[in-house]
Amino acid sequence: MKDEEIDEALRKGSRVPHEVSPALLKRIADSIHPSLRPVRPLPPNWVLTGGLVLICAAVALAGATRTGFYGIEKLGLWERVLIFSTLSILAWMAGKELVAELIPGSRHRFSPHAFLTFASVALLGVFALLFRDYHSDHFISAGIACLLSGLLVAIPAAFLSWLLLRRGFAVNPASAGLVGGALAGVSGVTMLELHCANFQVLHVLVWHTAVVPVSAAAGALAGWALMRYGRRPIDGAGF
Amino acid sequence: MESYGTAHGLPKITKTLIKLTRRRNFPALPSEHPLDPSSNLDTLMARYQAGDFAAATALIERLGPQLHRFFLAQFSSRADADDLLQETWLRIHRVRHTYRPGEPVLPWFYAIARRVRIDHYRRASRTTARERTLEEMSEVAATFAREDGQAADDLETLLTPLSESQREVIRMMKVAGMSLEEVARATSCSVGAVKQKVHRAYERLREKKMSAMGPKKGPRGGQP
Repeated sequence: MKDEEIDEALRKGSRVPHEVSPALLKRIADSIHPSLRPVRPLPPNWVLTGGLVLICAAVALAGATRTGFYGIEKLGLWERVLIFSTLSILAWMAGKELVAELIPGSRHRFSPHAFLTFASVALLGVFALLFRDYHSDHFISAGIACLLSGLLVAIPAAFLSWLLLRRGFAVNPASAGLVGGALAGVSGVTMLELHCANFQVLHVLVWHTAVVPVSAAAGALAGWALMRYGRRPIDGAGF
Repeated sequence: MESYGTAHGLPKITKTLIKLTRRRNFPALPSEHPLDPSSNLDTLMARYQAGDFAAATALIERLGPQLHRFFLAQFSSRADADDLLQETWLRIHRVRHTYRPGEPVLPWFYAIARRVRIDHYRRASRTTARERTLEEMSEVAATFAREDGQAADDLETLLTPLSESQREVIRMMKVAGMSLEEVARATSCSVGAVKQKVHRAYERLREKKMSAMGPKKGPRGGQP
């Protein structure tokens, strides 16, 4: 059997007319009439994505200003270029994907899970390539302190991102939360790279990189909880 | 020399910018431009965003039956489909600012309709405490006759052997007439993933058709 024959069978089936009660359509039209007023469409994608990247950078800078720029002072030029250009690219990708998540019918170049995997692998690769100190002093205590600092910076970044995109509508709140969390996590890692002067490979690979997946998981959980226990979706938009 | 000073509290240049922005955001004023019945969906959507009731009504009349069929294919009850259609339009109305002129209209509508369908399923499964998946529920819906006595239409009968995600893609392409790219946007997938679903759906339909036609006969006409 050829594809054309299947096509023809499907075409015939889809030609069956489908009637909907005119009264129902009229009721729908009447229900939206009282609140029908001009609305301002959302700004272009590049404006929103640029805004998100700026928020990410500003929050990371503010966090490092508060705690000190010890990390970046200790880094060499090549290391600075490679680390911060990787973080910028990841922030741009996450911002673009978050905007797509909050505008129905947008084009998706990759899934949120694929982005999270890519971001984690990219950070692991860059850190493994640049750092050569294989000691692991105070692995747990120093690591948890860094993870918490990164997550503390991720919280305001996530909040400001939500403020910027509050007029959006998340078709899948859990996915939007995951990408939003990953973006906020990138902001947290940026702050850690500016601040943390502990260049032990294991510390950076485990605890610095962990900020992104942990923050993404928290975002996905928040999105899922909103979807599961939040107000009825019809009552409002946003993620 | 031209004055750039303030008049009524605002500089002239600011007022001009505000006017220009307003003109760009709300291009069509209902009273100035009567509605052409053959207007395309993009134009109708832009006018709907500009607050034109005639355009909103035209959109409801054009897309309502299509979306209703989309819901009816998933849920066995016509009353459910009616409720979902109303709920979808209310949500579309609330988030109409998220549509941007120039972007494809159908994926935007279907993405919201899919969301409403999933929310409805979640609510229904919570209230009835049934843990069946959406796919199982749809298979039941597609297999059995409709609650109101109307038999499943030809397309749904043809699509019965497919999984829910495959059926959804085929429906969007064949009933709504959407392209691969538009289906990918509506379902938040990549174009490659949609192509793969269509390919697998066709494979499955071909297998079913062949098995329905009976086993192949051997070179001697199927005799032992």
